[in-house]
Amino acid sequence: MSPPIIDRAAASTPPALARHIRGLSDRAIAWIFIAPTIVLLLAINIFPLIWTIRLSFTNFRANRTNAPVRDVGIDNYVSILTDPEVWQPMQATAHFVIWTILIQTVLGFSLAWAIDRKFRGHGFWTTVILVPMMLSPAVVGNFWRFLFQPQIGLFNYGISAVTGVPPSSFEMLGSVALAPWAIVIVDTWMWTPYVILICLAGLRSIPDYIYEAAEVDRASPWRQFWTITLPMALPFIMLAVLFRGIENFKMFDMVNLLTSGGPGSTTEVASITLKREAFEKWRTGYSSAFAIILFVTVFGLANIYVKALNRVKSR
Amino acid sequence: MAEIRLEGVTKRFGRTAAVEDLSLTIADGEFLVLLGPTGAGKTTALRLVAGLERPDAGRIAIGGRDVTAEPPAARDVTFVFQQYSLYPHLSVYDNLAFPLRSPTRRVPEAEIETTVRELARLLQIEDKLKNRATQLSGGQMQRVAIGRALVRRPSVYLMDEPLSSLDAKLRADLRLELKRIQVDLGATILYVTHDQIEAMTLATRIGVIDRGRLVQVGSPREIYEQPVDTYVAQRLGQPAINLLPADLLPANRLAAGTRTVGARTEHIRVTPADGQARGRVKWVEHLGDQSHLHIALDGHSLVALVDPDTALERDAAVDITLADPLCFDAAGRRIG
Ligand SMILES: Nc1ncnc2c1ncn2[C@@H]1O[C@H](COP(=O)(O)OP(=O)(O)O)[C@@H](O)[C@H]1O
Ligand SMILES: [Mg+2]
Repeated sequence: MSPPIIDRAAASTPPALARHIRGLSDRAIAWIFIAPTIVLLLAINIFPLIWTIRLSFTNFRANRTNAPVRDVGIDNYVSILTDPEVWQPMQATAHFVIWTILIQTVLGFSLAWAIDRKFRGHGFWTTVILVPMMLSPAVVGNFWRFLFQPQIGLFNYGISAVTGVPPSSFEMLGSVALAPWAIVIVDTWMWTPYVILICLAGLRSIPDYIYEAAEVDRASPWRQFWTITLPMALPFIMLAVLFRGIENFKMFDMVNLLTSGGPGSTTEVASITLKREAFEKWRTGYSSAFAIILFVTVFGLANIYVKALNRVKSR
Repeated sequence: MAEIRLEGVTKRFGRTAAVEDLSLTIADGEFLVLLGPTGAGKTTALRLVAGLERPDAGRIAIGGRDVTAEPPAARDVTFVFQQYSLYPHLSVYDNLAFPLRSPTRRVPEAEIETTVRELARLLQIEDKLKNRATQLSGGQMQRVAIGRALVRRPSVYLMDEPLSSLDAKLRADLRLELKRIQVDLGATILYVTHDQIEAMTLATRIGVIDRGRLVQVGSPREIYEQPVDTYVAQRLGQPAINLLPADLLPANRLAAGTRTVGARTEHIRVTPADGQARGRVKWVEHLGDQSHLHIALDGHSLVALVDPDTALERDAAVDITLADPLCFDAAGRRIG
């Protein structure tokens, strides 16, 4: 009979290596395992960040690497923060972030609540609801372009069926008034399931006996919702808001595919402006400064928010 | 305050009958304790009365009103859950005030405050009122849970092993306190426990439950002195009753047809004997106010109670006789 597999594995380790490994302390072994990750993190996250900070104080242009690079101090920052045109992408971003979060949170939590109430076939519908999230943003962007087509788009026909206005009388992606809402609609379609998932986790974490106690204490369903369901699910809801907020602040792919920032610059969110400055106008130094400003903004907001979240959680 | 009446109540979970054909009336102002081991169906019985479970068969009436189909809120009951069912995000004060703040019965905030503070004093959690429910020890949480049941004046109080997670001293205190509250209020309480001391000290009547069936109901004295069968006899008495073959020991009186005798410590006479005696002391347990004598006898073992200053020691030979033991037939039913 052959020896157990674990003994064979031990025996087949080269003696020199085995002795070597045995000589290492736990701490050393831990470092060996972490090292590749740290190196990778430094190489693809930390180093580019530091490099970007450095570039943001220069007039460097990535398409003219031979041109002399001049140190311009904080000029890039000054010109961004004093440029009235910069407020356009900031406003477009704020519109997009605020409305997607608001709609997705309300919708996501309500749907999660409905699913949690266990109606017939809820398992099947939970799966169906999650499908959009599994698609690639490129696919989603492209097929919503079709849905939004005034002549053949299903979306326009749907709206027309409900409201009676002719389907080709409005252009979701081509109109200055509607385009900002078109991207909100698509993002909501795609990411509400994600909010549902997180809220469901929150709702499922509330033990049944708390509701039973409330039931015996004669709390109405309304009061149960406000004094039990909502406060106890709140940390989860806030987490969903944080994830969606960070994600949408740097939204690029879907909006770029749907409208490329247009019409005009109505849907030009910050990351699209950034791409134009960096890879169309090749103002590398300037766009680096812009990226740093965005980064600091998101980082600052997220930090304030996480503090609030921790306060809610520790209650 | 009201009477609870259960008529042929049955509740099944899949194939296990958690409660089977339970008929029981708890009189107005009575403290009825359901006693049984884990899994006997005690919790299920309470949840049926509270309305947290619907019976598969039978009727439940509270205060003469059929509530079988009514939700918990309509039944006017309070419930102490076996696990601490506090609202974790509320303070202790708000937990206690929660049942009073029901919009259907507007209680003035000042009155709530008086009630809550008085109750907190009673349960020795005054200094914890501002704490969050999650910042308490297990014993404190359970006291808050008990307090939440006592803060209202419902028709009936339902309690599911409320003292089992407390330490011995606090348990003894709260036992007295609960009994006093019940007498003061004239409250109807249905109380569930696996602890025979709680059952003996608290109950007006005890209901012994086994695998979903009510085996016997009676005053603690009746249950102790006249158990209907060996199962009930084993539930009460500390140390537990000795069940021995009828012909093992001489007894002053045995009913005809006795197969098993039930000898509680008070039925056993132990006398020191010479080396020929059949009984041997295996060990002596000194408990302070009394001592337990573990005796081996022809392959059986039994426990007797002796004075703390007993001269008997390990390996001493003893003679044993029985005085008025309980007599059970072949099926375990008591016949004398
Ligand atoms: N919700 C439930 N689902 C399935 N079985 C249950 C449920 N509640 C109780 N039971 C079963 O019913 C029996 C009685 O349980 P329970 O009333 O909790 O007993 P006790 O409170 O006396 O320990 C047990 O066998 C238990 O497994
Ligand atoms: Mg139980």
